[in-house]
Amino acid sequence: MTRGFWLGLLVVAAVAVALRWPQLSLRPMHTDEAVHAIKFADLWQNGAYRYDPNEYHGPTLYYATLPVVALSSDPNFDHLRESTLRFVPLLFGVGLILLLFAVRDALGPAATLVAAGLTAVSPAFVFYSRYYIHELILVLFSMLFLASAWHYAEKRSVGWALLAGASLGVMHATKETSVIAVAAAVGGLGLTLLWNRWREGIPIALKPKLNLKHLLAAVALALLVSGAFFSSFFTNARGPLDSLLAYFPWLHRAGGHSPHLHPWPFYFERLFWFHHGPGPVWSEALILILALIGFGAALFRKALPGANLNFIRFLGFYTLALTAAYSVISYKTPWCALGFLHGMILLAGVGAVILVRAGKPVAVRLTAAALVLLGTGHLAWQAHLGNSIFYEDRRNPYVYAQTVSDILELVNNVEAIAKVHPQGYQLPLAVVAVGNDYWPLPWYLRRFLSLRGPDHWYSEVKPDLAADIVIASPKLRPALAERLGQTHQVVGLFGLRPSYNLHFWVRSDLWRDFMERSQARPEAPK
Amino acid sequence: MHCRLTDMKQNKVNMITFGTLPRTALTLLLGLTMATVTLRAAQKEKAPLPLKLPMPAFIGTPTDIPIDEHVEKPSEDPRPPFLAPKGVQNVALKKKVTSSDKSPITGGVELVTDGDKEARDDSFLELHRKTQWVQIDLEKEYEIYVLLVWHAHNTPQLYHDIIVQVSNDPDFLNDVKTVYNNDWDNSSGLGVGKDKEYFENYEGRLMDAKGVKGRYVRLYSKGSTYSALNRYTEVEVWALPAS
Repeated sequence: MTRGFWLGLLVVAAVAVALRWPQLSLRPMHTDEAVHAIKFADLWQNGAYRYDPNEYHGPTLYYATLPVVALSSDPNFDHLRESTLRFVPLLFGVGLILLLFAVRDALGPAATLVAAGLTAVSPAFVFYSRYYIHELILVLFSMLFLASAWHYAEKRSVGWALLAGASLGVMHATKETSVIAVAAAVGGLGLTLLWNRWREGIPIALKPKLNLKHLLAAVALALLVSGAFFSSFFTNARGPLDSLLAYFPWLHRAGGHSPHLHPWPFYFERLFWFHHGPGPVWSEALILILALIGFGAALFRKALPGANLNFIRFLGFYTLALTAAYSVISYKTPWCALGFLHGMILLAGVGAVILVRAGKPVAVRLTAAALVLLGTGHLAWQAHLGNSIFYEDRRNPYVYAQTVSDILELVNNVEAIAKVHPQGYQLPLAVVAVGNDYWPLPWYLRRFLSLRGPDHWYSEVKPDLAADIVIASPKLRPALAERLGQTHQVVGLFGLRPSYNLHFWVRSDLWRDFMERSQARPEAPK
Repeated sequence: MHCRLTDMKQNKVNMITFGTLPRTALTLLLGLTMATVTLRAAQKEKAPLPLKLPMPAFIGTPTDIPIDEHVEKPSEDPRPPFLAPKGVQNVALKKKVTSSDKSPITGGVELVTDGDKEARDDSFLELHRKTQWVQIDLEKEYEIYVLLVWHAHNTPQLYHDIIVQVSNDPDFLNDVKTVYNNDWDNSSGLGVGKDKEYFENYEGRLMDAKGVKGRYVRLYSKGSTYSALNRYTEVEVWALPAS
């Protein structure tokens, strides 16, 4: 590989870091992030992890967090920072860019660098590289799986087969949706072979590309890796079985009742034209347009200089299948788009090079290059806006069921009361929310000892409810007034998510004491 | 204004007519007359404020109605007419606005006093997070009777740390009078406020300024239950020229 290529890749990675790293703690924790943080805490503090087939996906995120936290200055869970947790997806987000060297020969060096650049500035990739969820791990290992499989097909080396197998194992141990990526890969391969036969008369023959022993070794390693993670490294024998049983609840969720059921154009709207309210139009349409050029050229041209036609055709069909699958499944969350968006980005790299090289006069080439650069800059600008200003705003297409900053004011008040309370962080505190809709409060109130364990997290008002501070759904106000009305008062209302608020109940005498101390602060001038 | 001129003319006539009376009686009468003038000025003839409200952008009150020390219960009924001295006008209309945020997220500062208070996407100024302010220069001192503010009434939400101050000092360092302050926990650091938080709606928030005098009006806020950003759709300042 040339020095220029590596230098280019490193510069792109530096840009990716610059867009992803600043103010990692700025956005309030999303419910999913808080849930994963609590799951990780159990692994970190108690060495305990047990796979739950009903929720939370696989364990790779938590195990990947262990070394990051070990290298951080965070001493314990009480002082664990959001930025430390979010550094994990950031590493995978930047790693995904560096990993593109593995497909340099398949895409061509120039196309690879363009694809790296687009990954670095893609608003979706930047946003979710700062989001403590599994998606970036899944995308990175999907990429590694495809790259290894391609190298194996080219060289028939057992090493590449094993790497593909290991990647497959990690994919499975990361998220249940990995099966969609695998199915899309199989579908993509089949469609590529069919296309080659139809357009170019090349007979379908997999045998010369495969060695059964290599295939078995890869599958065995995939099972071993996946089994190791799901069994909590061979301490929970049921884990691997549960990882298969998990598909029943997830299938039910995919077609059943859920707030995450959306029509098929959901991803297209969010990725390519999103304009809700004043502010910028959000669009990554440049990637789609360039991807269509790249895929179209691969389908209808006989050769692409410096690139592997079959790999690009496969990539196109794989991306098409993955996009179709995710669009058809009713259960949708915007981060699921990353898998097929990354496929589009790789194709877009090819498309950009074809576009720039298509023009004969130099002026046309320069104009095409300038347009691609301008569009890339526009993506970077959106990525910056999405993480510095619109990070919790529903005008940002990647903000989804996001916690609003207002809840941090409530947490600040609880902390301030704890400072004057004789019991400090042991003060009796309870959270009562209809449908247990109180996340991410378990993360923000993790220092309060009375909230450790399930005893003080309720979905209804219990007759024996007793606490100095109660955070509650407004719907429960009548029941709480009956239970606590004589001794407590609602002292504030705070937003948890847009249009979903929580009441802040405090024991009246405690509140008076707190406010008297607060009155030491100057009163407003009259 | 008409009333006050009439009173002054009458006062002059009275002084001429009684000019020949003994000095003590004259002083007493003069004092009485002055007191009457003052009282009548204080009890200026009042009339309902001629407000033009925007279209409601949502129907009904928020379902999670709090009844507590700091948050006002939203009313299902229209706000009763507010009686202000006759002749008051919205002196903020089209006046110059400045802001703590030199590069607003959306909209320009002129939207705050452009007379458009509809809950449309292009009718508001949007400032960054944390405590921010807008300031209106009324161009001369006024007796301010009513302040009305619409932050964002497109959805039920509650803005925090609403502090409204009037001053003749454009920097608000001296002679600052606070008309409204609901920063109950002093999180904006301008002092603890005793006024209530409230849900935004199409009627805007009416603040009784009680004739406070000043040239500059500054309005603070610190995000809402909906977003950390600060929106200002319109501010009206109903006032009479300062006497």
